[in-house]
Amino acid sequence: MLQRDAFIEEITKKLETDKDIYFLSADFGAAALDVLREKYPDNFIHCGISEQAMIDIATGLALQGKKVFCYAMAPFISLRAIEQIKTGPSLMDLPICIMSVGIGIGYADAGPTHYITEDFACLRSIINCNIYTTADAGTARRLANKLLKNPEFSYIRFDRHDQPELEVTNFTTDLDYRVMSDTVTEDKVLVIGSGKMAHIVKKAYDEQPEKIFGVDLIHAKPFPKTLLNAISVAKGVIVIDEQTPSGSLGAAVMEACADNDIIKKIKTITIPEMYVFENGGREYLLNKLGLNKDNILKTLNDHF
Amino acid sequence: MDSHELDFIKKLANNYRKELFEKFVEVGQGHPGSTFSMLDIVTTLYYGGYMDYRKDSNRFANKLLISKGHATVALYPILKHFEIIPKEDWDNWGKGLPTQLRVFGNVSIPGVDMTSGSLGHGVGVGAGMAIANPHNHVHTIISEGELYEGSTWEALLFVAHRQIRNMTIFIDINNLIILGKTDDCLMLNSIREKLSGFPFDLYSVDGHNPNSIAAALDAEAYQPKIILCNTVKGKGFSLMENKPEWHYMQAITPEQIEQCRKEINDATA
Repeated sequence: MLQRDAFIEEITKKLETDKDIYFLSADFGAAALDVLREKYPDNFIHCGISEQAMIDIATGLALQGKKVFCYAMAPFISLRAIEQIKTGPSLMDLPICIMSVGIGIGYADAGPTHYITEDFACLRSIINCNIYTTADAGTARRLANKLLKNPEFSYIRFDRHDQPELEVTNFTTDLDYRVMSDTVTEDKVLVIGSGKMAHIVKKAYDEQPEKIFGVDLIHAKPFPKTLLNAISVAKGVIVIDEQTPSGSLGAAVMEACADNDIIKKIKTITIPEMYVFENGGREYLLNKLGLNKDNILKTLNDHF
Repeated sequence: MDSHELDFIKKLANNYRKELFEKFVEVGQGHPGSTFSMLDIVTTLYYGGYMDYRKDSNRFANKLLISKGHATVALYPILKHFEIIPKEDWDNWGKGLPTQLRVFGNVSIPGVDMTSGSLGHGVGVGAGMAIANPHNHVHTIISEGELYEGSTWEALLFVAHRQIRNMTIFIDINNLIILGKTDDCLMLNSIREKLSGFPFDLYSVDGHNPNSIAAALDAEAYQPKIILCNTVKGKGFSLMENKPEWHYMQAITPEQIEQCRKEINDATA
């Protein structure tokens, strides 16, 4: 199941008892959204292909105490509307949830206008913006219930494609992250990924569990303090991120370590700072750019 | 609104002009041109019965969004009069003493319904508020300069499509932006013709005449209202009127201050 469908299904369930929820779309669909808007037309607002106005409209609704979910394709709801995100939910401290679909090079066949390889960096710079990335539908469902229970200003990053369940179930209680083995020891390297990258981390972990402590980082901002404890124990860190380097997840890990006096070797695997015009599909491009299991294992063996 | 009430609002607006002028001089910054161009509109809204004042909570049930956030200071003396903004905050502002007040409006200031300062947000935020509060009215004041912002047109499409009738949009048309006349910098006219393609009820009024403003507000509407307010930037002070540089507070000589005081006192008398 698609992550967005799982998330929207939970919203639809909640709408049965909570009519203060509003779901706004900038002309972006989903199978589950068809059900929501059919069942609760008064709580669905089509904003047109107008991401900026959508965030402003959401701000007005949230100023009046409504629980608002905004939904659009990732490159447009993030960068095109970033000033509205700053002046609305950020500046006025409003619990608007921004649902962003197709992170990284998820739209590989579409081309660079539809890639979003800098949204993490940009949204991370917005004050009080919680950033979540889901690796599978199960996580999306859990996250929906968390945010429906306690709405917060959040930017939620969904993969475009159906991803299999990660088969890692030991989530932290606050849904910050989940780990692929029980304990971290000083001879293991922490390998961190989010979203689709968490699946690549899992593949690397499955191949060398004795050397890797794998982490699916869900709630990357604010950076989870308990994960810093694991980093401080580990031999080092590898971060793989479907983003360009500046301000990426790897940068977030480095900042968190520096702020907490943790000195560790940290290696990052990212998309290089370039636009990718070559096509061949997402898997082809990820492999070509080195965002794969083999490069994690090579980095592990070369540097640790 | 009878003639007695209209006279009262006119006089009140000029008193606020006077008070705001002294504050601009004291603070030494701000946007007097834009503030004085919309002052009569906001005074009419607050004192003409358009904000649904609730004495028990000392709050207004209706909302007023100053999308042209640089002019939000126009609200401060009014909100002080209603004792929503503490007098101490007003008195302290510009003296280097603690105050909640600042040049741009912020929801942390009592009675201010929207944080603004970046242009082009008011129509969209107002639309959301109006949907959330179908039994109250949302007034949004935008500057004509905000018609340069794409997000304004996005939101106008939205308000028109959904026929949000519990919302009124005022466009403060003073024909000036920072670098000069709008039509010299980048032509906006005819604003009315551009908007006439939308399903709005359009009114053109003298934005300094409470009677004219009230008539548009009172008119029975079948579609959302846009009130095109023809105004003079810096209204009330010959030093500032129609002078683009007075978008910002300028260095001002003692002689100029006295001249401004004389003009506003004459108008208030």
